[in-house]
Amino acid sequence: MRTQRLTSYSYLLLGLFFMGVFTFIPVFLSAYLSLFRWNVSSPEPAFTWFSNYLEVFKAPLFWLVLRNNFIYAFTTIPVSMCLALFLAILVNQKMGTIKSFYRVSLFYPTMIPMVAAAMLWVWIFNPGLGIFNYYLGFLGVPRIEWLYDMRYALIAIIIMSIWKNFGYYMLIFLAGLQSIPNHYYEAAAIEGAGGWKKFRYITLPMLAPATLFVFVVAIISSFQVFDQVFIMTQGGPGDRTNVLVFYIYQHAFRFWDLGMGSTLTTLFILGLLFAIWLVFRVIGRKVYYEV
Amino acid sequence: MRKIIFLVTVFFFITGLLSTSEIWAQKEKGKPKLLRLTFYYPVGVAGPLARVIGEMTDKFNKEHEGRIEVVPVYSGDYDPTMQKVQTAIMAGNPPDIFMVEISELPTLLAMDSVLSLDDYVKKLGKEYWDDFFPPFRENAVIGGKVYGIPFQRSTPVLYWNKEVFKAAGLDPEKPPKTWNELKDYATKLTVRDAKSGDVKQWGVTISGGWNDWLFEAFVRQNGSFLISADGLTANFDSKESIEALDFWVELKHRLKVGPPHSTWGSTPPDFVGGRTALLYHSTGILTFLKRSAKFDFGVTFMPQKKTFGAAVGGANLMIAKKIPKERQEAAWKYIEWMSNVKNTAEWSAASGYVAVRQSAYDDPVMKEHVSKNPEYLVARDQLKFAHGKMMAKNFQKVREILKRQLDDSAAGKIVPAEALKIAQKEIQAVIK
Amino acid sequence: MKFNRNFRHRTGLHLALMLVSLITVAPYLWILSTSLKFRTEVFTPTPKWIPWPINIQNYLEMFEMAPFHLYLINTIIVVTGILAVQLVTITLAAYVFARRNFWGKEFFFFLFLIQMMIPIHATFLPNFLTLKNFNLLNTRIAMMLPFFASGYGTFLLRQAFRQIPRSLEDAAVIDGCGGLRFLWHVLIPLAKPTLIAFSIISIVSHWNDYLWPLIVTDTPEVRTLTIGLGMFVQQESGADWTLLMAATAFVTAPMMIFFLVFQKKFVESFMLSGMKG
Repeated sequence: MRTQRLTSYSYLLLGLFFMGVFTFIPVFLSAYLSLFRWNVSSPEPAFTWFSNYLEVFKAPLFWLVLRNNFIYAFTTIPVSMCLALFLAILVNQKMGTIKSFYRVSLFYPTMIPMVAAAMLWVWIFNPGLGIFNYYLGFLGVPRIEWLYDMRYALIAIIIMSIWKNFGYYMLIFLAGLQSIPNHYYEAAAIEGAGGWKKFRYITLPMLAPATLFVFVVAIISSFQVFDQVFIMTQGGPGDRTNVLVFYIYQHAFRFWDLGMGSTLTTLFILGLLFAIWLVFRVIGRKVYYEV
Repeated sequence: MRKIIFLVTVFFFITGLLSTSEIWAQKEKGKPKLLRLTFYYPVGVAGPLARVIGEMTDKFNKEHEGRIEVVPVYSGDYDPTMQKVQTAIMAGNPPDIFMVEISELPTLLAMDSVLSLDDYVKKLGKEYWDDFFPPFRENAVIGGKVYGIPFQRSTPVLYWNKEVFKAAGLDPEKPPKTWNELKDYATKLTVRDAKSGDVKQWGVTISGGWNDWLFEAFVRQNGSFLISADGLTANFDSKESIEALDFWVELKHRLKVGPPHSTWGSTPPDFVGGRTALLYHSTGILTFLKRSAKFDFGVTFMPQKKTFGAAVGGANLMIAKKIPKERQEAAWKYIEWMSNVKNTAEWSAASGYVAVRQSAYDDPVMKEHVSKNPEYLVARDQLKFAHGKMMAKNFQKVREILKRQLDDSAAGKIVPAEALKIAQKEIQAVIK
Repeated sequence: MKFNRNFRHRTGLHLALMLVSLITVAPYLWILSTSLKFRTEVFTPTPKWIPWPINIQNYLEMFEMAPFHLYLINTIIVVTGILAVQLVTITLAAYVFARRNFWGKEFFFFLFLIQMMIPIHATFLPNFLTLKNFNLLNTRIAMMLPFFASGYGTFLLRQAFRQIPRSLEDAAVIDGCGGLRFLWHVLIPLAKPTLIAFSIISIVSHWNDYLWPLIVTDTPEVRTLTIGLGMFVQQESGADWTLLMAATAFVTAPMMIFFLVFQKKFVESFMLSGMKG
């Protein structure tokens, strides 16, 4: 048993080494620096206990940013998960070579570099020249100014992100679906279960692990959203598309405010950890994953 | 199959490692006397210009073979470049030469990371420094000391679409000259769908994204300023500034002859696609417009209120402070060379940026360029009325605060006087 | 009757899929179409899907701008390098997390989870410093190192390993096939779909990394495709759209072809392992 324990540690060592050097050193550094005032006005770091944290909570902009990010998360997560599951089930049906076409066209947005995709969507969303409004016009939707309008800019980013990300989730669901043994369905068919019943009592429970996984990944990625905002709107107009990581970026790299940047990073990680812990606590146990 | 994939992977991995060590070896092999300098640059105009910088540098390197070799490093747009410069400085590994957006200077100074070029500039005498257009010089000097050499510089101008002028019954050769004319023209040029009321063509687009820069121009046109020349006193809630913002709100919100918000990158396509009749944007897009627009268009001064006015923009060449003396000297040789009359002319002709030196316009290359394309002279002529861009410590924070208020005002969420009062209070607190 | 219902079902299925596919694929067609246009044909109020006259010049011009062939090779090296090391680190870690009990297991697993949550921008500065100290700036390995361990992959694979019945391991141990041999001969083959899925995800995301490679590299000899792409995206002057789209088409092409060719293979392996599990 002892040797087993030793080998266990040795297997972890390689991963832990890289993680330690490139992730945890930076994280501890942030946690440490978050206690300092270190910015353009005080170029020499000065220890100030938790005053940075107070300052974060006092800034009205922080709360707006948080609100934006929650709106983003609460829309992109359910929409892209449902879409991904629905399409995964459809694509999983038996069909001819056209299946390849579907699979590729649904998954490819994930493969496009964000630098280019975001530029492209700026153009697609252009109120007068973009294809988005042009085709919405055919459906009788009144013209929306998208990125040119405070009320819709965040929605535009959300739409773009759903397009970009749901292929990821679809792939995971697809892998999950294909690992459901066929005889389950056959047995159900013999007992006369219909499509919905099969979905409800076989597919859904069997997909629970995949769903939990997608959910966790979706939460993390929806709070890490950055590139779209960076290229498409720079957080504007009027900070209505400013999100957490962009806010961190602004402090660390625009304002040269390393103290505040570190504070925000630390808060960000703590918040996300709490969210993930909550997910596992509430749902995880039911899906037979004890952490 | 699996084996093949495995072998390919291993192959690539090993070659990857080998080639890295090769680069180490190359680094070590360099002869001791050769100074290899890195130069981080953002190129604000599309792709080909990265090559222009490369070619110019090659010429320099040939002239200094065996002694100095400048390695130009393309480092993304203004923002990524600043990030790259900052990361490198913080890690104690600064690039020898870099070019960042002009308003970053006070911040860079506060971090003690730029070298004063005073002695070098003085050595070259008055004919060198005084040859740069005065407003360009403003953003290179703080406390009487020179820290940067103007290179990639621009100002905002007004573009107008001559064809839609005709369609609206306006003289296509007469762009608006005053704020009142602008309002009048913009109203006439706005085309709405008869049924739905959707705007098909905006009268005037004052581009978003860098709207803080454009707003400063409007304030200048109204005879005021936003931050004092020493960068210490904010002046955002002056009567003139409020008037300027109110004029924006009138165009964008009350009359609805211009989009309330937009992004910097998407308004040039708007203009090319006939979505807007008038466009406020940088001179930097002139080349893009010339290559993309199918119709005839003009470039002119931004309309005046009390006077014509603009704030200059762009990037200056700078040298890092914390590098050995000999590298600084070599870096200066490069900057001096890049900013000589011939090279500034060549750069301007290739990029569409304003040539930074007055005598560059007598250079044959430049003469030929502007005789073929006289519209490139508009930005230069407007410089007579232009000022340095506002500069202060924490400038990026200043920008964010101001932009927030500009955007909220344009959406009608707050009245100009109120918005600028908030801006004044918050900005004064960050720059002091 | 049955045929009819089945037929309706099929039509509905294809209609739904067709509709969504068309919507998602439109942006890509738009990229291709724009990449073949002349600059003056790009911004039209009514979309022009068929580029006419066709302008192939854009692709040639794009190659003149930057050494894209070098960038392509570098990207492949970086991406495969990251993946190769990742596969080793995640399999070993996932194995112990799924199958072994030891002191501090939860703590270590928790560390791996955290890694997924760190916004990469928060690590730029310290990691740059580390690489500088090891004299690794401006190398390909610098672009790979921070990604060698993957909390994401470990988590994904751990879930897959856990689904494999415990009894299998007991049986294997009795047969004298424990530890690493069990991992290699039983767990890995059974978890192949997950490994493939992770590989795709890893390849895709590192193929598209932008800011980190931009910050740690200086010379074209080691730089990657997205940096070349970034040259056509410019703030002050607007993008050079035709070239940007041509570059995008070129940069994404290898991934697209890769996926098109291998997707059947992926799915087959998914199926096979699905039956076994």
